[in-house]
Amino acid sequence: MFEKILIANRGEIALRVIRACKELGIRTLAVYSEADVDSLHVQLADESICIGAAPSSESYLKIDRIMSAAEIGDVDAIHPGYGFLAENPHFAEVCESCNIKFIGPSSRAMQTMGDKNAARAFARKAGVPVTPGSDGIVESEQDAAKIAKKIGYPVMIKAAAGGGGRGMRVARNEPSLMAAFHGARHEAEKAFGNGDVYIEKLIINPHHIEFQIMADRHGHMVHLGERDCSIQRRHQKVIEECPSPLMTPGLRKKMGNVAVKLAKSVGYENAGTIEFLVDQERHFYFIEMNTRIQVEHTITEEVYGCDLVKEQIRIAAGLPLSPHIAHATPRLHAIQCRINAEDPEKDFQPSAGRIDFYYAPGGHGVRIDSHVYTGYSVPPYYDSMIAKIITVGATRINAIDRMRRALGEYYITGIKTTVPFHAAMMRSAEFRDGNYDTGFVERVMSSGKFELVAPATQLRE
Amino acid sequence: MELKEIKEIKAIIDLMKRNGLSVFEIEKEGFRLKLQRAVPDQTTTPAPSAAPSSPKAAATPAEPARAPREAAETKPLLKDIVSPMVGTFYRAGSPDGAPFVDVGKTVNEESVVCIIEAMKVMNEIKAETSGVIAEVLAENGKPVQFGQVLFRVR
Repeated sequence: MFEKILIANRGEIALRVIRACKELGIRTLAVYSEADVDSLHVQLADESICIGAAPSSESYLKIDRIMSAAEIGDVDAIHPGYGFLAENPHFAEVCESCNIKFIGPSSRAMQTMGDKNAARAFARKAGVPVTPGSDGIVESEQDAAKIAKKIGYPVMIKAAAGGGGRGMRVARNEPSLMAAFHGARHEAEKAFGNGDVYIEKLIINPHHIEFQIMADRHGHMVHLGERDCSIQRRHQKVIEECPSPLMTPGLRKKMGNVAVKLAKSVGYENAGTIEFLVDQERHFYFIEMNTRIQVEHTITEEVYGCDLVKEQIRIAAGLPLSPHIAHATPRLHAIQCRINAEDPEKDFQPSAGRIDFYYAPGGHGVRIDSHVYTGYSVPPYYDSMIAKIITVGATRINAIDRMRRALGEYYITGIKTTVPFHAAMMRSAEFRDGNYDTGFVERVMSSGKFELVAPATQLRE
Repeated sequence: MELKEIKEIKAIIDLMKRNGLSVFEIEKEGFRLKLQRAVPDQTTTPAPSAAPSSPKAAATPAEPARAPREAAETKPLLKDIVSPMVGTFYRAGSPDGAPFVDVGKTVNEESVVCIIEAMKVMNEIKAETSGVIAEVLAENGKPVQFGQVLFRVR
C-alpha cells in the first residue's frame, strides 16, 4: 500500500481523495495555487506545497511543478481527481516514467479513449452500438435512401464541411428524404463551397445514461450500474440520479455487458465511465468514455454501498477488486444536486466571493461533499461548484422528498447559489415522474412556469 | 530615540509600503512625525520635534543630527526575491562551492543568486532586481515552493 499520495487537484474532489487516504492510513500532500492558500484541502492535508499563481495554467496544469512537488514530497502515487490533468495522457506518461503511480488507467488506454473518433472505431469493432450513420460522404440519392432506410428515421443530413447548424436538414420519413438531401447539399455548397453531406440518426430527446466501470490490474472488471445525467444546463450536468428511471433490469444487463466489453478491449484499469445516449425506445448508443473518477461517483457509492475512491487507491496499489465491489448490487435510490456559486436569477452568472455564513443540511440519508465553510472566499479562477448534496432513499420519491427537505435547510449567505434552482426542480411534476431528457432544463426554464424556491429557513446567525 | 519608537516607526513604514502610501503624518501633544517614502535619491526627514509628553524631556541638540541617519537606516523598500518554481534551494553551484551571494553582496538584475533544483535540472535563479542582499531566508538544501521568499534586497 502507498505511504504517501500527492493530490493533483483542488476543491471538493481534493478533499474527497484526502478523506479516502486518511481512512487508508496514507499520508497526503496537497498542491495548491496562491488563490487556494486557505482552501480546506490544503488545511487538512498532512503537507502542502504552493505550485503557482491563481490561474490553472499557472498552477494546477503545470506538470513540471507538480512532479517537482511529488519528488520533494517523496510520494508513491498521484491522484489526479477529475478535470485538470486527470485525462492528460502525457501527464500519466510522465508519472509512469518517474516511477510514481498514476491512480487511473494507463496513458495508452487514456489516449485511445480520449480520441473520440478512435473511441467510436474501437466501439464499432467491439460490436458496441454507436450513433448510427453513414460511414462517409453520401454521394447519390440512391445511397441516401439506402442508408436512411438502414439507420431508420428520423435522420439528419449534415454537411461534412459544415458548422453552426447550417447545411443540416432533418428527414422524418422516406418521402421527405429527397427534399432534405438536396436541400442540405445546396445549402452546404452555398455556405461552405462544398456540398458533401453525410447522414446520421437523429436521436430525439435522449437520456444521457452512463455506466461505472471498475477494473483491477489482474484482469477483473465489473460495472456498478448506471447513472442518469440527463438533467443538464448548457451541456453541464446539474442533477444526477442512480438508478435511472428509464432503466429495466434487462437493459441494465445488456448495457453493462457492453460497457465492460468495451473497457476490456482497451485493457482498461481502475475507475472509468462509459457514456450512452438512450432514446425513447430504449435503444442505446455509445458516445464516449471518461477515463477518470467522475463528479457523480457519489450516487453510485450510496446505491451500491462502496467507496470508489478508496477502491481506486487499492487497485493502483496492486490489490485485487474488493469482494464487496465485485459482487455489488444496487439498493436504494440516490440523487445528487450540484450546488454552484451562481445566481439563478441572473442567468446563472458566477458569484464568487466570501461566504459569510454556511450551514449545510444533515440527518438520515443526506451526504454533503464540499470544501467550503463560513468565511471561505470562493475564488473566481476555477469552476463554480461549491458543494454536492446527495440524498438517499428507499425509493426514488423518498430520495426526491428528502432532497427537497434538505435543500430547505441549506443556508449560504454572502454569495448566490443554485440551491433555489434545485429546490424548484425537486418540485417539478415531470422530474418527479422521471419524465425528462437532455432538453428538459431549457424547456422548463423557458416555460414561464418555473419558479425558484429560496430556503424557507432563515437561520439566525 | 527609544527602541520602542523605532519599532513603531518601522511598523508604520511597513504599513505604508504594503498599502502603497507615500506620505504619513501624525501629530499628538508635543509630538509630530512625518514620513515620506523616498525615491532612492531623496532623503526622508522624520522630525520628532520634541519628546512625547514632558516639555522638559526635549531632544538635545545632538539628537536631531542623529535622527536623519537613523531615518536613513530605517528607510524601507526591502525587495523580495521569490521562488518562481517548486524545487530544492541551493546557495552554491556545487556542494563545496562558495555561495553565489551573501548578506552585503551587491546584485543587479542579471546576477545569479541561487540554484533551484527541480526534477534533476539545476535552474539558475536571477535576482531580477538590484541592490544589496539584506537577508537570506531560504535554507540550503531545503525544499522551496512557488512564491516563497528566498532573499530580501535593500
